[in-house]
This record gives sequence, structure tokens and C-alpha cells, in this order.
Amino acid sequence: MSEHEHHEHYPHEHGHHPQAPSDVEARALALESLLIEKGILTSEQVDEIIRTFEQDIGPMLGARVVARAWVDPDFRKRLIEDANAAVGELGLSTTNLARLSVVANEPGVHNMIVCTLCSCYPWMVLGLPPTWYKSPPYRSRAVREPRVVLEEFGVNIPEDVEIRVWDSSSDLRYMVLPERPSGTEAMAEAELAELVTRDSMIGVGLPRVPAARS
Amino acid sequence: MSAARPATSLDGNLALPRKNGELVFEAPWEGRAFGMALALTDGGPLVWNDFRQQLVEQIRTEPDHRYYEQWLAAFEALVTDSGLLTREQLARRAAEYRSMERDEVF
Amino acid sequence: MAIQPDIDSVVVNGVHDMGGMHGFGPIVIETDEPVFHAQWEGKVRAIFSGTVGRYYNLDEFRHVIERMEPTAYLEAVYYERWLHAVETLLDEKGVLASGSAPAPQAPPKRPSNFPAPKFKAGDRARARNLHPEGHIRLPRYVRGKSGVVTSVKGPFLLPDANAHGNHDVWEYVYPVRFAARELWGADASARDSVSVDLWESYLEAVR
Repeated sequence: MSEHEHHEHYPHEHGHHPQAPSDVEARALALESLLIEKGILTSEQVDEIIRTFEQDIGPMLGARVVARAWVDPDFRKRLIEDANAAVGELGLSTTNLARLSVVANEPGVHNMIVCTLCSCYPWMVLGLPPTWYKSPPYRSRAVREPRVVLEEFGVNIPEDVEIRVWDSSSDLRYMVLPERPSGTEAMAEAELAELVTRDSMIGVGLPRVPAARS
Repeated sequence: MSAARPATSLDGNLALPRKNGELVFEAPWEGRAFGMALALTDGGPLVWNDFRQQLVEQIRTEPDHRYYEQWLAAFEALVTDSGLLTREQLARRAAEYRSMERDEVF
Repeated sequence: MAIQPDIDSVVVNGVHDMGGMHGFGPIVIETDEPVFHAQWEGKVRAIFSGTVGRYYNLDEFRHVIERMEPTAYLEAVYYERWLHAVETLLDEKGVLASGSAPAPQAPPKRPSNFPAPKFKAGDRARARNLHPEGHIRLPRYVRGKSGVVTSVKGPFLLPDANAHGNHDVWEYVYPVRFAARELWGADASARDSVSVDLWESYLEAVR
């Protein structure tokens, strides 16, 4: 990485008079500056770890998969046929990956995931499930009145769109591939990934819409 | 990315703080402490399991400290126990930062 | 295939099988919720991670939770159910007793020569009206209902057997799509559907 920005970013800094660091901040700074001086570490290494890790666990894994499917139609096809293999192509570890099944939203079809019997969830690509997903109200109502549930999440699905609810009763873990929002044709894959929310990959939300561009 | 693998062994009360599955740092220094520990234990001069043991110990002896304070203390212990730095060096350097003689940040 | 349920596990149609039930109230969404609400929850999950697949399997774990007394199940905070299950299983398997613990189980291996699937995509099939004592992953709301097989998956271990000490039974699993009206009556949407993954022994052909 040749270009790298380092900037002051004390959380309590205002104006031209930054405050002294707290004890813990000073200790962390001491560690890093000494380790760098001794040639044991570079600040770029630390940056890289933070960046990679934040992208490796949690909903960002799923978001990367979705963004790739949006820009690459052949990948999208492979993802729907064999999700584990496709996800492995992105360099994501598949050793602990349960059998994943990706169901695609398309014009006229909206998918939604639930586990009525317990709380099965594609946690390897989405992180740990939120409490509401594991709760009796969601588990009981998602299969019976999905449209009402979606309204409560702020999602309105037109009557002429089919809602498919997937009850994860077996070893398969389901994930929704949301539709790509319009107005994103010029966006790069990494930017697209930031539009993908966890809720849109469960089917109780839609991807973010990019800010209007002039 | 091999850095992800050791960190997945942090489970239960060792687990990294998250919101909706994503990592949370309350302040930039927490991210630096996190990154330093992983950088030096991932094929570096320190051993991940040794760090993990230190973290377990810090959580046990200082249960009221916030997570990344425990993490930082564990990393300090590991770095000094392994002879990479001394406690005196760290104390002196931290004092320089607190008195603002030194102000470079990362 | 005769499955012997555990002596204590006479649970038929437990309260855990919630699809389509009424009366649980609104969905409560906590924005930016932490992964664990309290330290003990994380500890329970850690103990689970360290013991599942070694001293007990996931199907046994689920079934212990299903055997909970209904009010206890509903009133428990989510991870309390896990705690109950882990404690119960480690106790039942003799891991907690003083003295020797059983050797950890090796994961079962899928058999190599396996018969062809009974159903294929596009077939109509009906979920059988099974109400066993013991563990089953056939939700009540589809029993006796007909739908369309959309694909063939697996074979996977049959949970009914795996939860009760028989780790050799593998079956194909079929995602079956049921029309909303088939499940919930004429007032339901004419367009929507629910797909449920069903093991082969849960299904019968529809002529």
C-alpha cells in the first residue's frame, strides 16, 4: 500500500486544542510507537488487519457475496446452483460453512427466511442472528402472515408480487439475494456491498438506495 | 485471510464486541490494540494462544474492566513477558503521550 | 423403522413447533442490539461450542429443548434454553459426573452407496400426518398438506433417529413449496407460498 492516510482522530478533539489522551489511549499509543521503532510492526499492518477483519465476519460476508452476484451474472448463476462453492470463490473459508442455499429476489418474487422450529440462521455469512429472528412472534407469524410482518419492518410488497417464505427445517441454511437497486449501474462492487443490509439478506428489508447523484 | 481464524477462537465472554454482527470499537485506540495483537500473533513473533491465555487471565482478574482494556492489558503483558519491550519503556512512552510531549498518532 | 424414544422424552407436538400459531404478540425489534445481552449468555454459547459434536449432537440438543415443560420453554430467555440443554445433556451423558467422561463422538460419515431419491423437482407430494413421541423436524402446520417438490438435497442424517441414539440413518431432503391457501385456508393470499425442507420419510407421493 503506497498511499496511506494517518490523521489525528482523538474522539474528544475540538478546535485547535486537542486534549491529552486518556490513560488507555496513551498505553495503546506507547505500544504501537515503540513496536514500530523497534521494527517489529508497521502501522500499515495494523490497518490491514482491522480492514480485513471488519470485512470478514458478520453481515459484510453476505454483502460481498450479493455485490459480486450483482456485477457478475455467471457468478450469480453459480451462487444459486451451489452456494458453498461460489462463496468459496471469494476466498471465504468454507470449512465451517453449513450447507448454504441462496434464494434470489426477482421481479415478481420476494423471499423471506425463518426457522419456525428453533433459530437456524446462515450465521457463517450473516453473523449471529438478532433476537427478534429467534423469538416466538417472528417464528409463528412469518409463515402465516408474511405481508403483515413485512409491514412492521417497514417493507411494503405489492399484491402482485409473490412472497416465498423459506422455513429452515433441515441442515440447509437459507440466505436471500436481494434485487439490485436501480440507479447503481455506475457503482463499483465494494460500493454496492455497502448498500446490502443484513435485513435484506433475511428478507425483512430491502437494500439501501444510493444517494441521488447530480 | 488467516487473521480471521484465530479470532474465531474467541468465544463466550472472550468474544469481540459487535453490533448486528459487525465489530465495534468505542474509540480508535481499541482498533489499534486489536490490530496490533493480531498482527504480531499471525505468523509474527508472538503466539496466539499465549495472547488468548493472557486475555482469559485479564478477564478473570479484572472483570469490571471494559473488554478492550482487558485486551490491552493482555497484550502489554504478552509483549513484556516475551521481552519485546520492557514495562519501563512502555511507562515512559505513555507518560510522554499524556504530557503531550509526543503527539504522533496512528 | 422403529425409533425408540428416550424414556423421559414423551413429548408429542411440543410448544417449540410454532409455525402459524397465534398469540405471541408483536415482534420486538431492538435496534443495534449487542450479540450477548449479558456475560453469562456468551459463556453458555462458549460451552455449547466446546461440547456440541463431541458429547452430543445438534439433534439431541434441539430435542432436549423441545422436551422442556411448555411454560418453562416460553418464559425462558433464549440462552436459558441452551443452558438447560447443555446441562441436561452433559449430565445424561455422564460428562458431569465425577470420574471418567465418555470419549467424544466421531462425526458420522455419509454412506457411499445410496439409493436414488424417491422424488424429483416438480413432483407433487404430501407431508404425512406424523405425530411421533420424540424428535421430528416436520412442522405441524404442513402435516397432511400437499405441495410441490422444488429440488433434491442431501442426504442428511435423519433427526428423528439422530436425536435418539441412532446415528446411521440418512435420507434425502426435499424443499417442498406449499401454497398459502393450502396451509391457511381460502382467506390467505392466492399468490404466496411457504417452502419447508422435508426428509424423505416425512413425504408420500400424491397421485
